[in-house]
Amino acid sequence: MKRHLVTTIAGAAALALLTACGGGSSGQAAADGPQTIKVALWNYATTPEFKAIIDGFQQANPQIKVEPVDILADDYQTKLTTMLAGGDTTDVLTMKNVIDYARFGTRGQLLPMTDQAKALDPAKYSGLKAYELEGKYFALPYRQDFWVLYYNKTLLKQAGVPESKLQNLTWADYATLAKSLTKGDGQSKVYGTYQHTWRSVVQATAAAQTGGNLLGGDYGFFKDQYAMTLDLQKSGALLPWATAKSQKVTYNTMFSTGKAALMPMGTWYAATLLADTKSGKTKVDWGMAPLPQRTADGKTTTFGSPTAFAVNKNSKHADAAKKFVEWASSEAGATAVAKAGVTPSLQTQPILDTYFGLPGVPGDALAKKAFKPDDVVLEMPVGDKSSDVDQILTEEHELVMTGQKSLDDGLAEMSKRVKNEVG
Amino acid sequence: MTTPVSAPASGPASGLASGPGPAAAAAPRRVRRRSRTWVGWSFILPNFLGFAALTLVPVIASLVLSFLDWDSYSTPRWVGLANFERMIHNDTFWTALENTAYYAVGHVPLTLCAALGFAVLLNQKLKAVQFFRTALFFPYITSLVAVAVVWNMLLSPDMGPVNQFLRAVGIDHPPGWTTSTTWAMPAVIVASVWRDLGYYMILYLAGLQTIPAELYEAAEVDGASGWQRFRHITLPSLRPTTFFVLIMLTISSFKVFDLIQVMTEGGPGRATLVLSQVIYREGIVQGRFGYSSAVSMVLFVIVLTITMVQFRLQRRSER
Repeated sequence: MKRHLVTTIAGAAALALLTACGGGSSGQAAADGPQTIKVALWNYATTPEFKAIIDGFQQANPQIKVEPVDILADDYQTKLTTMLAGGDTTDVLTMKNVIDYARFGTRGQLLPMTDQAKALDPAKYSGLKAYELEGKYFALPYRQDFWVLYYNKTLLKQAGVPESKLQNLTWADYATLAKSLTKGDGQSKVYGTYQHTWRSVVQATAAAQTGGNLLGGDYGFFKDQYAMTLDLQKSGALLPWATAKSQKVTYNTMFSTGKAALMPMGTWYAATLLADTKSGKTKVDWGMAPLPQRTADGKTTTFGSPTAFAVNKNSKHADAAKKFVEWASSEAGATAVAKAGVTPSLQTQPILDTYFGLPGVPGDALAKKAFKPDDVVLEMPVGDKSSDVDQILTEEHELVMTGQKSLDDGLAEMSKRVKNEVG
Repeated sequence: MTTPVSAPASGPASGLASGPGPAAAAAPRRVRRRSRTWVGWSFILPNFLGFAALTLVPVIASLVLSFLDWDSYSTPRWVGLANFERMIHNDTFWTALENTAYYAVGHVPLTLCAALGFAVLLNQKLKAVQFFRTALFFPYITSLVAVAVVWNMLLSPDMGPVNQFLRAVGIDHPPGWTTSTTWAMPAVIVASVWRDLGYYMILYLAGLQTIPAELYEAAEVDGASGWQRFRHITLPSLRPTTFFVLIMLTISSFKVFDLIQVMTEGGPGRATLVLSQVIYREGIVQGRFGYSSAVSMVLFVIVLTITMVQFRLQRRSER
């Protein structure tokens, strides 16, 4: 009895604090009037696909009104967790990453959408498989980002490098090319390449292209990718990690101001470049090539993350919410997403044509090959240990990249810590 | 053994009361005292309610949560001391504890000495003294993110003015500061001393202005040097201020979170990871509210113990 009381008090107190931050409930549907569903999303003004999906859905379903619940991108995961803990009834929830999706799905916070997911063709829906939780689905993907190699056409031309050279680039070729493209000094220096400070640039690439397991606890498969990156840094062809981190350098600044000739980055960056080109913020003539590979056998393996919509279990308008989720992942939804310059999960030829038909999108063979990788591996495997492993790998990545630990010591420490601290 | 509440009324003092008799005089006095008590309570009640709702209840809830396994979704599960056991065997907890102590040992004396030094200096009749006082206080009211950004720029390994200066004076390989496991914590300490010293300097300035000028005049007549005047008059007179500053600095040092979060995020590696960040990561990011609460309880006990020791030492020195 005493234990129960204590537990209840603790739970109630913590919940009271959490719910203070939560959102309100969605409005009641009028019996014969239009229904309103609320959609939790981030940075509405600067994330064009949200508006494209909402506008498109409302046009197709005038009886359902959609109200965006805009949350700051950086706070999105925390805020969503808090909202759900407080019993929030926001109808549709955007699943920003698969790790959080797995948490919400397995804890019964989302409505099952297994039937709807199984009706989709997995061959056409990139990233759909990532949402399977023990045979069940609780979300449908509408967007799938994966990594490609962006390049500055002008800088390549100035160096006399034909763009066709990027067709089947190995990491060794990439390093040689980056060194040859580096020029200048001080403020006017142009780096051959820019690799952002995220650990995924090195680690997820290595895992995807070697078949290594990021949750496994043995990280020898990182070695070649780290060795190449550290060598690029040492040669001066890559902005030092320490400088990028301490200066909080953004990858957009490095590429869109012409400070870097090459840059491995996700497909989402194309939408930013399109918008910045349109508004005159950048004049960089850019192209997209497949991510470099370990061997030049013509096959492209990259990594990426899908984004999905799910329906809150507490939704008061579950049917309308499900309709929204289904529409977003449908051909009409994917076309709307592609028109916004963002890569949809459903990639049929007409949708790809829509994307490449956008003004400013490089439509050459290289870009089209970049857009059709043979294999897209999930950036981080989903599991209850993912979050803890991610923290350890990030910490050790910092030490290796700043030279605080040798590569061998860093790799050994990653393995040791993951085995000891996560198990 | 216990003294009855009405005892004073029947004691010698009651005999002095005018009026019909001791018993009749005691009753209105009791009523008056009771009504005064209620007036007193009514003054502190709003504050106490705020304290209870925003501090006391969360602290008690946190204490209870530290014995539970709870992720904010599922039903809380009683796990006894398991969270504390996990903490004892967790390398990250010990690293964070060590870093927190390192930060406090650096931050408290440096801020205290700097604040005292500037307060003594700016208590003189100098030109533009108000300007210097304001300038030193300014970082304290500046946005913390701005402070962190400025220091990150100053300490940038390649382009920062600090390293450019060091290279100019012949140090070819200056440290990476916030990206060096050796120098990240000193860099954070220096930035936080710079940010905090203005506030504590104001406290010392207030303390300095309560010292009677006659004491200094008399010492000067007796031929005491500047150092002797500082040591034998200023320092002892500032003892209550120093005690207050010490308590406040210790508490804020152990609770440090914001500046480190913005400047280094606890890195590189875990070089600047402190207990408050462990609490945040485990609770808010990972959703392990039980473990997070256990760490916060340890932090609470550490701060409470150090504060109590400081109070005891202060009392002993006053005797």
